[in-house]
Amino acid sequence: MSSSPATTAPAPESVDQRIAAVADVARRLLPEEGVITDRARLRTYECDGLAHYRVTPALVVVPETAEQLAEVVRACADHAVPYVARGSGTGLSGGALPHAEGVLVVTSRMREIREVRREDQRAVVEPGVINLDVTRAATPHGYYYAPDPSSQQICSIGGNVAENSGGAHCLKYGFTANHVLGADFVAPDGEHVPLGGMAPDAPGYDLLGAVIGSEGTLGIVTTVTVRLTRLPEEVRTLLVGFASTDQAGAATSAIIAAGIVPAAIEMMDALAIEAAEAAVRCNYPDGAGAVLVIELDGSVHDVEAEFSDVERLCREHGSFEQRLATDPADRALIWKGRKSAFAAVGRISPDYIVQDGVIPRTALPEVLSRIAALSEESGVRVANVFHAGDGNLHPLVLFDDAVEGAGDAAEKVSGAILDLCIEHGGSITGEHGVGMDKAKYMPRMYSDDDLDTMQLVRCAFDPHHLSNPGKLFPTPRLCGEVPGRKKAPHPLQAAGLAEVF
Amino acid sequence: MTAQRDTDGTLGDMGSIVDPADVLGGPSVGAFDDHHPPDAALIGDCVHCGFCLPTCPTYVLWSEEMDSPRGRIYLMKEGLEGEPMSDSMVGHFDACLGCMACVTACPSGVQYDRLIEQTRAQVERRHERSPGDKALRGLIFSIFPHPRRLRLLRGPLRVLQRTRLDKAMRRTGLLDRVAPQLAAMERLAPRLGKPQPLPERIAAQGERRMTVGMLVGCVQGAFFPGVNAATARVLRAEGCEVVVPPSQGCCGALSVHNGREAEGQDYARVLVDAFDEAGVERIVVNAAGCGSTMKEYAELLADDPAYAERAAAFAERVRDVSEILVELGPVAPRHPLEVTVAYHDACHLAHAQGVRSQPRELLRAIPGLELKEIAEGDLCCGSAGVYNILNPEPAQELGDRKARNIVATGAELLVTANPGCLMQVTSSIERSGHPMGMAHTLEVLDASIRGAPVAELL
Amino acid sequence: MAASTTTDLDGAREALTSVCGRVGELEEASDGVDGVRPGLVAGPNDVDQVAAVMRVCSERGLSVVPRGRGTKLTWGTPPASADVLLDLSALDRVLDHQAGDLILATQAGVRLADVQSVAAEGGQRLTLDETVPGGSVGGMLATNASGPRRQAVGTARDLLIGITVVRHDGVVAKAGGRVVKNVAGYDLGKLLVGSFGTLGVIVDATFRLHPVPAATRWVSAAFDGPARAHELVQAAVHSQVVPAAVELEQDEQGGRVHVLLEGRPDGVAGRTEALRALLGPDATDAEEPPAGGAAYPWDLAATGDERDTALKTTFALSGLPDVLGALGDLDGLRLRGSAGVGVLYAALPHRTAPADVAATVERLRGVCGRHGGSVVVVDAPAAVKDAVDPWGPVPALALMRRVKEQFDPDHRLSPGRFVGGI
Repeated sequence: MSSSPATTAPAPESVDQRIAAVADVARRLLPEEGVITDRARLRTYECDGLAHYRVTPALVVVPETAEQLAEVVRACADHAVPYVARGSGTGLSGGALPHAEGVLVVTSRMREIREVRREDQRAVVEPGVINLDVTRAATPHGYYYAPDPSSQQICSIGGNVAENSGGAHCLKYGFTANHVLGADFVAPDGEHVPLGGMAPDAPGYDLLGAVIGSEGTLGIVTTVTVRLTRLPEEVRTLLVGFASTDQAGAATSAIIAAGIVPAAIEMMDALAIEAAEAAVRCNYPDGAGAVLVIELDGSVHDVEAEFSDVERLCREHGSFEQRLATDPADRALIWKGRKSAFAAVGRISPDYIVQDGVIPRTALPEVLSRIAALSEESGVRVANVFHAGDGNLHPLVLFDDAVEGAGDAAEKVSGAILDLCIEHGGSITGEHGVGMDKAKYMPRMYSDDDLDTMQLVRCAFDPHHLSNPGKLFPTPRLCGEVPGRKKAPHPLQAAGLAEVF
Repeated sequence: MTAQRDTDGTLGDMGSIVDPADVLGGPSVGAFDDHHPPDAALIGDCVHCGFCLPTCPTYVLWSEEMDSPRGRIYLMKEGLEGEPMSDSMVGHFDACLGCMACVTACPSGVQYDRLIEQTRAQVERRHERSPGDKALRGLIFSIFPHPRRLRLLRGPLRVLQRTRLDKAMRRTGLLDRVAPQLAAMERLAPRLGKPQPLPERIAAQGERRMTVGMLVGCVQGAFFPGVNAATARVLRAEGCEVVVPPSQGCCGALSVHNGREAEGQDYARVLVDAFDEAGVERIVVNAAGCGSTMKEYAELLADDPAYAERAAAFAERVRDVSEILVELGPVAPRHPLEVTVAYHDACHLAHAQGVRSQPRELLRAIPGLELKEIAEGDLCCGSAGVYNILNPEPAQELGDRKARNIVATGAELLVTANPGCLMQVTSSIERSGHPMGMAHTLEVLDASIRGAPVAELL
Repeated sequence: MAASTTTDLDGAREALTSVCGRVGELEEASDGVDGVRPGLVAGPNDVDQVAAVMRVCSERGLSVVPRGRGTKLTWGTPPASADVLLDLSALDRVLDHQAGDLILATQAGVRLADVQSVAAEGGQRLTLDETVPGGSVGGMLATNASGPRRQAVGTARDLLIGITVVRHDGVVAKAGGRVVKNVAGYDLGKLLVGSFGTLGVIVDATFRLHPVPAATRWVSAAFDGPARAHELVQAAVHSQVVPAAVELEQDEQGGRVHVLLEGRPDGVAGRTEALRALLGPDATDAEEPPAGGAAYPWDLAATGDERDTALKTTFALSGLPDVLGALGDLDGLRLRGSAGVGVLYAALPHRTAPADVAATVERLRGVCGRHGGSVVVVDAPAAVKDAVDPWGPVPALALMRRVKEQFDPDHRLSPGRFVGGI
């Protein structure tokens, strides 16, 4: 382990000096275009997919190899410079928001698919590899990579690991954490640590399990071993129109109660349908108050029988139109409407907030009617898109920022929806992460003791809080004495702004 | 924590990266002046989702935010917010191929095509380029939009000597950059035969179903006269009376795509006049880049009171030739062509005009013809107008990538609908060492209608 | 290091009695925690009492070893010290079963079998096999014990959605929640699963459930050597029959691969036929599981030096022939395991000389290591555990020690039971 920056630096360096020192290291390692200091260029990195948080990084580094990345992290550790990892910059919680006095480490050039091992049902990829490209590489072998966030065409595997990304099909197939078996990991001191591997159940603590979903606060993965899933023999995608979300919700419950686990059940309400139509002309049923996109997959023997049950259950719960996608192009169009829904809302509203909360699925009717009431009372329109199968809501809160107070009103509604989720025993985020955006909500879901306990993990991995500081947790807490190190009181502690943990 | 929300008050919104209300109205102080800066309202449509990134050829090559559509829009926003037009900023705008794949991919409907055009016009006006760069651009625009000069280029060395451009070109490096393209053109030329000027009016075969005006184009007319001839024959066979106004010139596409707005407007006015006099129902184009620009004449000439209305009416009537043929439906019998074809989507056809299914439909209707799709079909081949001359390295990388994907289809014949693509892909395929036949969609159709042997195309 | 036997146990007994329902000594017949006799046994009745016990132990520097139903106490390395055995068997309530949401919350001392009966009332199950009869939920989590059905749904780490732990200092903390989808905060559950009681005391857990399949069918085929075994396993995992388990067993009678199909009766019938065709003319099918079911291949009833050496080998699927080859010639070897995911358990007879076991384990570690896996001595007679490091080399040990340091700075929680002496 490298020695403590606090003790090795003879005189405290200024921020500029420390950044310059890291930049020097990076320039030695990387071609010119891999070290970005030009202001106009730096600014293009000032936000991720959640564009209203913006911070210009002091330095952007785009490494091409794990060794380079580790060297840069080590330089950050040596000079006490905070760093933030970024993949494709599509996160929706500000998790890759840069640090003004720190380095943004971008993995977009680490994009090689190293191996596709059919026999082992694994692929080994670099963190910048795009999610969908893993599936594209595996498909000729009869396999695919199951987690499929809506942004799968651009989001990176490294980002998926950081966020424990899910997707429409996680109802049946689980999340990133269930599909990542191993990773080479660069800890905040710059050390390479192999986690997990090709085989399951590596002895020792499941550190990989802790790293997945830690939003870049524990370190950066530089290679990822993923499980590949057999392409199903049969896939049927059914688009079902209902008069109301209540009917669609009841049909969903009936399907689950019948013991069917569809690959996906997605719901969109009328407003969300309108947006998707405007964007991609997906040709959803006219006049629907809600649509369900239901996908069944598996062996041809089971899918056929399940399909007729699902058709019947939907009919019994009031569906007025059912459309079966008969070829890949039809299926793609149905999914395009759903997967484009967030950005498509830009077509019907100048501004909007994408919310992400989870409730127990059985609370769906109650929560939807409460959301409708919130919308009614406030006059703020809310479009609903959600993974109905697992209760993951994505209300889209619409507003026009040109109208005075509209932004605040929207934020209020958005926050109230999260409160509803917590009230029903749910979560403040099902897949977008806490990041910058929801750190303030963490205390509503977890007690101080819960959060303190999570911080123990942070302190084990990153005692100096250099890796993506300020995200995930609401208040900065310092780690206690680090074994073998002596250090002066942290400035925040001295100033009484943080407590020693 | 150092993160701040909306520090400078420019933004207040949640989903958009710039708030039009805050940017509009005030005098511009940064990169752009007040004459049509990139439209803040259009920039505001971008929600920063990143769906455009994997479709962008430069992002695919370099994986840098500022060489992606999202990054370039962000640079525009920076410019509106007061950042100066630096060399680095201009470099990233220049690097855009204008392929418009991002426009197709964007779920929010951001009109990147408008934005980059507005930005390029500002760059050309306001940015001081290096002397070499200036000379190169000057030279290109003194040759390419001029059919007569281009025709002379067919014997490149002779032309160079005659126009005494050889010295200037060597100084700018243009010779090195153009030479491979010229070589490719030359390799194609013998098969394409001698220039065949089309008559001003060609009568329909059988019953006349429509009267169409035909654009002959600059590059198409000069280097692929066979394509024009084939187009005219097919149109005639399908019952169109074809009018070829002799007063037509360049459509202005190359100028408009490279920020030479005034020059482009001049070309547009001439073309509008030429076709207005012809009195046709539709204006048919067989070059994707030309068609996409002509469909946008309404915007290009919106500020010209004398032409705004006529330009809009003109744009309404413009169709790609494949659109017309599918709209009319076939009457001429097709003869079999036993050949495997890979169809390459020209960006300005697929992305800019949304014409994807029509050429495929026409090809599939030919008995015996097997159509293959090309992997990464949405990715630009690197031609992009004169991009391959201005930015030879990325253009070549993209060309080679395209060639690999084309060769992998195992097809015998590559078909596309844009002269630029044809030249670019030809040179890449030659480099790949897997030579194959190349043809325009209409040449294939023409061969089928005429009952010509496949060998004529290969 | 940890508190030792010199601790004032009488004082501790008094302090513990004041906060905890049952405090006493270990029954004479028990051999404690893998031969280490605890000074006291504390049996709290609820989570508050667990916290109080942990506070007392913290104040007095007492080492603590949690126990659920005591079925796997001999697994791992023997603890360096066990002042207090924390008996969680009174935490025996299933807290909640929401059939509509397919979730179930339970206290840690509940037997897995009892969880299954509650879930079954709603036509559901926790898709984890009972690999050791009578074991508790907490014990299953602490050891990450898994059985055949991991093929389709994974192990406890994959099905656990919420957890409550009591820390070394008595602080009660939870992570995750009651919804299947939740990415708020660190996933402490993952860290706790398989941690052998060295990070905290698991007191309750929430799981996602699955519907009980209407039909099940086992399709079996015999193999005569590693190559054929590999063919059968590969045929099953790459097939379209969606296997719920791909098991392999091998003993004196020979070797067989068993593939479990679950689902709707019509679907299972069709898939059974498809799979039989894949596995060859000799394949058979049956509704009943193969003899031995989900159990490990070692003798669970044996104690002390009569115990078999129990090995867990893991490997990438392509390594199966090599691993089988390396195991094949061992005298009296019994094998069983989830070959479809790269996990095989092996039992070496107790009579095998410790030095021979050690040599075998080292050799297997080489083979499994080449195939991306490892070998753990799950259980063995004391002499064997002395002769070979049961856990073997662990690459990320330094970081694991730092985690341990944070969660248990005084090293009082199951000290020495885990990797690298943690």
